[in-house]
Amino acid sequence: MNTSSLTLVGFGPDGWGKLLVIAAGLTLIAALCSFAIGGLLGTAGAALKLSSAPLLRWIGTFYTTVLRGIPEILIVYLFYFGGSLALTHLMHLAGFPGFFSLPSFVIGVVAIGLVSGAYQTEAYRSAYLRLDRGQIEAGKACGMSRTVLLWRIIAPQTLRFALPALGNIWQSVLKETALLSIIGLVELLRQSTIASGATRQPLLFYGTAALLYLLMGQLTGFGIRSVEKRLGRCWER
Amino acid sequence: METTQPHIIPASAATTAPVITTRQLTKRYGALEVLRGIDLDAHEGEVISILGASGSGKSTFLRCLNLLEIPTSGSLTVLDENIRFRQQGNELRIADQKQVNRLRSQVGMVFQNFCLWSHKTVLQNVMEAPIHVQGRNRQEVRDEAQKALDRVGMLNRADYYPSQLSGGQQQRVAIARALVMQPRVLLFDEPTSALDPQLVGEVLKVMQDLAAEGRTMLIVTHEMAFARDVSSRIVFLEQGTVRAQGTPQALFQGGMDERFDQFVSHFMRKT
Amino acid sequence: MDWPFLARTAGELLTGVPLTLQLTGIALCAGFVLAASVAALAHNRLAPLRWLARLYVGLFQGTPLLVQIFIIYYGFGQIEYLRSSFLWPFLAQAYWCAIIALSLNTSAYGAEIIRGAIAAVPRNEIEAAQAMGMSGFLLRRRIIWPQALRYGLANYGNEAILLLKATSLASVITLMDVTGIAYRLVSKTYRSEEIFTISGMIYLSLTFVIVGCVHMLERWLLPRNRV
Repeated sequence: MNTSSLTLVGFGPDGWGKLLVIAAGLTLIAALCSFAIGGLLGTAGAALKLSSAPLLRWIGTFYTTVLRGIPEILIVYLFYFGGSLALTHLMHLAGFPGFFSLPSFVIGVVAIGLVSGAYQTEAYRSAYLRLDRGQIEAGKACGMSRTVLLWRIIAPQTLRFALPALGNIWQSVLKETALLSIIGLVELLRQSTIASGATRQPLLFYGTAALLYLLMGQLTGFGIRSVEKRLGRCWER
Repeated sequence: METTQPHIIPASAATTAPVITTRQLTKRYGALEVLRGIDLDAHEGEVISILGASGSGKSTFLRCLNLLEIPTSGSLTVLDENIRFRQQGNELRIADQKQVNRLRSQVGMVFQNFCLWSHKTVLQNVMEAPIHVQGRNRQEVRDEAQKALDRVGMLNRADYYPSQLSGGQQQRVAIARALVMQPRVLLFDEPTSALDPQLVGEVLKVMQDLAAEGRTMLIVTHEMAFARDVSSRIVFLEQGTVRAQGTPQALFQGGMDERFDQFVSHFMRKT
Repeated sequence: MDWPFLARTAGELLTGVPLTLQLTGIALCAGFVLAASVAALAHNRLAPLRWLARLYVGLFQGTPLLVQIFIIYYGFGQIEYLRSSFLWPFLAQAYWCAIIALSLNTSAYGAEIIRGAIAAVPRNEIEAAQAMGMSGFLLRRRIIWPQALRYGLANYGNEAILLLKATSLASVITLMDVTGIAYRLVSKTYRSEEIFTISGMIYLSLTFVIVGCVHMLERWLLPRNRV
């Protein structure tokens, strides 16, 4: 072993530092996109589960039960293989021969987003159920239309109630993006695997990856908690 | 049960235009009949106290007036507009939500539990509806909101959150929130029932001032002294019907309706 | 629908269930022992021990399980000391690496659940017991632990489900659990929808089994909770 560990993870010509940081950035972006998709799906899921129509409620329950009961890796695989097959099939129908595949970023982000949406559904639903009915009535009594009521009263309060749970879901989304490494996206874990293969230093690079995950989790967690605190002011005495 | 006839004498201010009129208003929850046909004319400038034991339907009646409860049958006229319903099975439904929203913005409501929006400051609570329901200019609304808060003595708490205020303070803000909409009628649903006894006075004082201004008010309350001294008319509900009504002088001197007398003596004993 | 294929696939996938259950069961038990120890540390009078517990929980909760698996499976081989120790026969095998990683990972979450459950025991009930002269092990055995069980059981059941799902990552280091077999079948036949759907249904059924077990445990251990 000629080069020291520090040089290997550093930013010099022999160092993997820059690539690791870029990969960590990609991890963060993938997590953000997944979380956002999960937010949309979670809102829809919560609306379904809170609906008065039994069929819609059933669909919502089906979504959360299935997506929370199946390993994330299977969902990722299903989208990875299934997505490409479906796309290839479609392209063949349209007259384009050959094999087509979706970018692993898109597949991975949709898959993780779908799972995160199931968890976010529960977060929004339970937050909604905690709303004070009186405050909603007060809005109605002022003549608020459904839209105004939703945007001015219901949505902001639901979001505030859901924030702690959303913070936890964000942390798990951040970690779940590591699954995208197995479908070939060069995010933090994949980049570390490449580096440890090239240098035969798996402990060093996986350790560095672990530290970077910790760092990202801590920093974003700190941010979320401070937002929580600022928005939570209105419930303090 | 005794079968004495309810006593009804005409109210005093019946010369001005009616602001709210109900005819044969009923409300049923399944088998439970809460309102059994109520006729009421609330005229401009009247201060009507609606009294009754718990379960008499007084809160339900008040909530029907701005459609927080939808009556099972009967007709309701608010500010010269007949509320349009459509029949769905045995129930009525609101036929024109826009009409209801429009009328609600002219009928202020004060709740038992204040129901201030907890994620907004006092000032934001008061400014919310004028801006987002009436679509008025923010700067102009701010001035009026501050005036309204000043009236109820809460201007110095404009930037507090509701959770930082006492119940009495919250209720005064809720009154300011209703006032800033420049309502034609104010509905009060047991505005002091959730308050600690020492905080009741500050809210009643504000309400008394509003009454003295000649505002039209309908108040569901258990404050007998307030009803006697401030209102122009008492409506006494029993089991979902108007058992007796008239001026406070006529009713409170006793002997007009024995059920009312029992009710009053019961409450006076308690307080 | 190609029923013969589905039946064959289901049959092959089911051969992975014992391994999946083994990983889950062993990690659950080992994880619980570790979790209880960490939770005990978290309540220790000595601040450094409390910090140690927090560090442990933070490390394992703050990093992806896959990274933990890779560190143990690929990384530990780099350490000379470990290679020559009695542990090496274990650490050289993917099976044991997966079990170690899963146990450590679940223990961090379990420790938090246990800590939370103990913290949820009402203060005044403990004080009442102390006022009657209970203390130490007796107080724990008779008052604190039974009450903590009441608060923690459902959460630990959820953790068991998460653990079941987490065992699927063992397939990444070559283990032939349900997911591992599914992956192999897909690369052979390219019929991913059918294969992954059946695997998903297997996991879903196992999830329901765990939920059922937790309900039974609840009924057995907490008869007063019965509705």
